[in-house]
Amino acid sequence: MTAMGLRTAATLTLFLVLAGCTSSGSNMTSPTEGTNAPVAGGGINTAPGSEQDFMVSVGRRTFFTQGSAALDDTARVTLDKQAQWLNQYPQWKVKLQGSADDPGTPAAQTALSQKRADAVRDYLASRGIASGRMLAKGYGREKIGEDCPEIECKSQNRRVVTNLQENPEF
Amino acid sequence: MSLTRRGFILGATAAGASGFAGAADAYTTKFGPSAMKYFAGIGTDNGYQYRLTNWKKIKDKWRRQLVQYQSTEPIGSVVVDTSNHFLYVVFENQTALRYGVGVGRDGFRWYGRARIDRKALWPRWVPPPEMRKRQPNIPEYVDGGIDNPLGPRAMYLYRNKTDLGYRLHGTLEPWSIGSNVSSGCIRMFSEDVIDLYQRCPIGTRVLVLKHLGAPVIDESAEVDMLQPPD
Repeated sequence: MTAMGLRTAATLTLFLVLAGCTSSGSNMTSPTEGTNAPVAGGGINTAPGSEQDFMVSVGRRTFFTQGSAALDDTARVTLDKQAQWLNQYPQWKVKLQGSADDPGTPAAQTALSQKRADAVRDYLASRGIASGRMLAKGYGREKIGEDCPEIECKSQNRRVVTNLQENPEF
Repeated sequence: MSLTRRGFILGATAAGASGFAGAADAYTTKFGPSAMKYFAGIGTDNGYQYRLTNWKKIKDKWRRQLVQYQSTEPIGSVVVDTSNHFLYVVFENQTALRYGVGVGRDGFRWYGRARIDRKALWPRWVPPPEMRKRQPNIPEYVDGGIDNPLGPRAMYLYRNKTDLGYRLHGTLEPWSIGSNVSSGCIRMFSEDVIDLYQRCPIGTRVLVLKHLGAPVIDESAEVDMLQPPD
């Protein structure tokens, strides 16, 4: 190998090492440009009754444990807050989107996700939300986030998202 | 976790006077007039009382808010930026819910990946032996309640089924949000840690971003107990 070739190889190696550092480090270091800019309707002056208000003050997600459509204490706290907010702002309707990536066939997953959405609907109804304002639908795996066998993924995918809608077609 | 010196002295006096040094019921926190301005009355939660935060005293940047967030972390993950004293829950469409936090002081900073494997309402605070060695006046434990330094909630950070000793928890000192004060724990306003608890199921990913001068917790390494938890 020529001197030039060696130098090129050394440079290339150095580049790869640096690139390796950069790529492995980027996830661990401070956030990139664009982070922390205010979101439209976000910031601390979020309008009461807006979708952003619901996301910040209440939260859209109700979580479930494996194979279950039962509401635990934490889920009920979330849904009590949702009901209180929805009673205060009756202009909103909600689409309750159930998900399930639990062990089982796709048909079983869809059925479980529907049961979860129904459980949320029934609880909100018991807290005074008119059934005409709600649509509960199970999506099985269709709307899940990151897909992996670990609890890190599963915990996020066993859920119902309460999706605010102004003029839904239901 | 650091209480005010005033809190320690009064707490210690109370414990000594009652003759039950170390007993949790002898432990109370007293705040002076300037500290009391940070509170806005008493709230109740699950049968316990806590001091509500007076938001007029808190800078806008430490309030919970929706922001843009460029990240490759999956939705639902918690990311802690200790340099800037922010905690994020990653949302859809490159946005996140951002909270102000208090983090570890010099010598108590760390970074790395963890997972919430345990959560508790009104947790008992048990200061580790290292902390009691440094601060002999603190009690052996404090049951959940209005003077418990962990506040209304705690989320316990684990890696590979090992308790890292670090927690996300509340605080008795709302003025400490935005500063480097703890022994490595991430402290939040009481209202915020109650809120975060709802959003983090068991299994939630937590990433504490790299911070210059912070010791790394290597995934393969033993848990570093020289970094005392609080």
